[in-house]
Amino acid sequence: MVEDKENVESGEQVSKKGAKKLAKAAKKAELKAETATAIAANNAAGDNAVDTAVGRYGLSEMIQSKDKRTERNFVVVHELGSHVEKGLLWVRGRVHTSRSKGKQCFLILRQQSSTVQCILAVGDIISKQMVKFAGNIPKESIIDIQAKAVSVPIKIESCTEQTLELSVEQIFVISQAKAQLPLQIEDASRPENADDEGLNIRVNQDTRLDNRVLDLRTPANQAIFRLEAGVCRLFRDILTEQGFTEIHTPKIISAASEGGANVFTVSYFKDSAYLAQSPQLYKQMAIAADFDKVYTVGAVFRAEDSNTHRHLTEFVGLDLEMAFKYHYHEVLHTIGNTFTAIFKGLRDKYSREIESVGQQYKVDAFKFLEPPLILQFSEGVAMLREAGVETGDEEDLSTPNEKLLGRLVKAKYDTDFYILDKFPLAIRPFYTMPDPSNSTYSNSYDMFMRGEEILSGAQRIHDPEYLIERAKHHGIDTTKIAAYIESFRYGCPPHAGGGIGMERVVMLYLGLDNIRKTSMFPRDPKRLTP
Amino acid sequence: MYELKTLLPQFDIKLPTCMYNLKNVSLSADPTTSTSSVSCSASEFSSSINLRKSIPCALDLDFLGRQIQHLLKDETVSVVIRQDKIIQQLQGLKTQLGKIRAGLGICGKTVQHSTAFQDGRKEVSLQDIVINGHPNFIPYALLALKNAWRDLYTVNVKTFIHSTMADIGPAARKFEAEMDKIPVNNALPNINVTLIWKNCEHMEMISSPTMYVPIYGEVNVIRYLGRVGPTEYRYEGSPLCNEIDLVLDICYQLLRCSTHKAQVAMVRLLDKRLKQQYFGGSQMSVADIGVHSSLIRIPTITDKDLTPALLAWRKRAKLVTQI
Repeated sequence: MVEDKENVESGEQVSKKGAKKLAKAAKKAELKAETATAIAANNAAGDNAVDTAVGRYGLSEMIQSKDKRTERNFVVVHELGSHVEKGLLWVRGRVHTSRSKGKQCFLILRQQSSTVQCILAVGDIISKQMVKFAGNIPKESIIDIQAKAVSVPIKIESCTEQTLELSVEQIFVISQAKAQLPLQIEDASRPENADDEGLNIRVNQDTRLDNRVLDLRTPANQAIFRLEAGVCRLFRDILTEQGFTEIHTPKIISAASEGGANVFTVSYFKDSAYLAQSPQLYKQMAIAADFDKVYTVGAVFRAEDSNTHRHLTEFVGLDLEMAFKYHYHEVLHTIGNTFTAIFKGLRDKYSREIESVGQQYKVDAFKFLEPPLILQFSEGVAMLREAGVETGDEEDLSTPNEKLLGRLVKAKYDTDFYILDKFPLAIRPFYTMPDPSNSTYSNSYDMFMRGEEILSGAQRIHDPEYLIERAKHHGIDTTKIAAYIESFRYGCPPHAGGGIGMERVVMLYLGLDNIRKTSMFPRDPKRLTP
Repeated sequence: MYELKTLLPQFDIKLPTCMYNLKNVSLSADPTTSTSSVSCSASEFSSSINLRKSIPCALDLDFLGRQIQHLLKDETVSVVIRQDKIIQQLQGLKTQLGKIRAGLGICGKTVQHSTAFQDGRKEVSLQDIVINGHPNFIPYALLALKNAWRDLYTVNVKTFIHSTMADIGPAARKFEAEMDKIPVNNALPNINVTLIWKNCEHMEMISSPTMYVPIYGEVNVIRYLGRVGPTEYRYEGSPLCNEIDLVLDICYQLLRCSTHKAQVAMVRLLDKRLKQQYFGGSQMSVADIGVHSSLIRIPTITDKDLTPALLAWRKRAKLVTQI
């Protein structure tokens, strides 16, 4: 460069400049060619080097059930702990992350909620090509690996299996994922701490729901839906044990008994029909048909155009109805105790899932009392008034009041679940049995979890004449509900019941903020897919 | 634009048929008196909140009607002026009523359930109380009080298990059973107690989360119940007040002693305070309840550790508390 400068000073200006440019370009080209040859030589050396690991890795052919491969002994990830230093084993899982670094490749294998670190290092068994292949497997692909479980001196914080890693000897891709994912599982499963300083990438609700298949792979979602299955299972088990019979009610109905509002219309051959918004009538008919105690688990449809955190247009209803001897409290206690039993079952058998959800969504554990706390509606109103809220004796609880009452009850009794009994008659449906001792109240009850109503039930009127009288009092056209009234004409035992929404119960049990998180493929006024 | 005729007094005015008798203002009020009569004194309205709105309403309409009738012959301009004046006065009345309501400080929708004494004090219903207790520290005082007050006062205890407790153990279950044995007499004055077995360090009493802070410790719960319980056990007015409080404080320390030696030392202190038949006098008091239940809670203190006087007292106390 110094030479160049001297030239510039002595010679002619323009030509010198041109010469300098040329010289520079020539130098650049030379360098380029040099590096290119070097890289090419390098690559050639790598690729052409004898691949010692041929047959130990690659894309597996599509599994069409050709071979049984019974010799491959598969182990699930969370049981790997008992296979440390015990020779080779097979594991199938997804590539959670994979990064190759020179002669090593670290791959995290995920199986549902469990993860384990796998390592491939160039050596006698593993070739450079194999490491490269492993490093390039797209995330979320399903792979089979043969490996040895080796214990590690330092805990691996990023995996659920912290004390061991897998030293891979064979790796095959069973099903390859697209290289570009619409959302990263890591982002979708990042804990929701507001004060967290680290990476703060969030996946918003709609992206999650649009790509639900990917979203459901997060540990929290795995846990939520396993817990949801638990709620259903416990509901069935507990009630079956108490002599209940499971029934299935029709979902396509003529809507003769229900009003036209909030019902979906479907075409039914030449006519139109409606989607059931509650199995109540059929539960009651089953009672009239001497089934004594029945429950049903099934889809319920509500054509309510409300886009809130707790409304879905289709949800799973867990409904029960029960005949009683003399007092509807027999039923109230049965329902209340069923809830307590479900909560206890979840607490005792699903603690792993609850913890798993807790890692992503920080919420307090669900608290309850045994037997469940039962307050009178009037007591609830008194508590609200004491807190300075003006509410009438016969006024329904507004949503803010409902939440406030939930907080007051929690402060006093430290329970997230309670029952409010004896609601004012005026705010309940016509088929609700009035309280015999005080006609402003009725034999009806609501149940609350974390201050939100989850169940609404009552003793139903089982006397047709009285039912007609009450319907008239409510200004309901009795001809429209003739079939409902008719079903009580052949003798019907006194009965009461209620129903809950499974999604809502799971949401409130876990303390989640949106019901869409607890519905696998939620349906709301704005979402019909996937 | 106004259908003024409908307001004429010759039409029957329907009076509200509520439980209070309304003075028929349209007949008694003199139409010739000045419009200032509209602003009646506040005392006329104070009888009932529900009626407040109806009185001025009937009065104003009639008044308005009569005035309008008078003025129908006059020029319409003067009618307009008068109307404006009336509206103004109505506005004034409205603000006045608003002031009265604000001054009383009562919820506008419903009459609150309270009985006022002549000296201005108010009787409010007793709060249901919640007691959180650990099954390892059973509040025997509740059972003792329940038994001691059998014919005086009903302590209505409902027990619950909190989700933080997996099992409450046999002692707590026995305690619950003992509690259920005592018949509930609804004719007596009563207090509802919700006893929750919970994984908590200290015994804790909550009466109202919005109005009072929790009370901690068994002896303090005994003090509270002593205040709200039957008059026979209220000790604040009695000359023995200090003595009883002292004994209860010793109980508090006794329950917190970690070594047997310290416990025995506390028992000695108690022995010194037992000068008559019962602690602080010849009558059973909350102090005896406190000592008795505390001694039950500490099984390491056997009869050997008690003095003859204490043993004799214990027998007497047992007759009342039946534990």
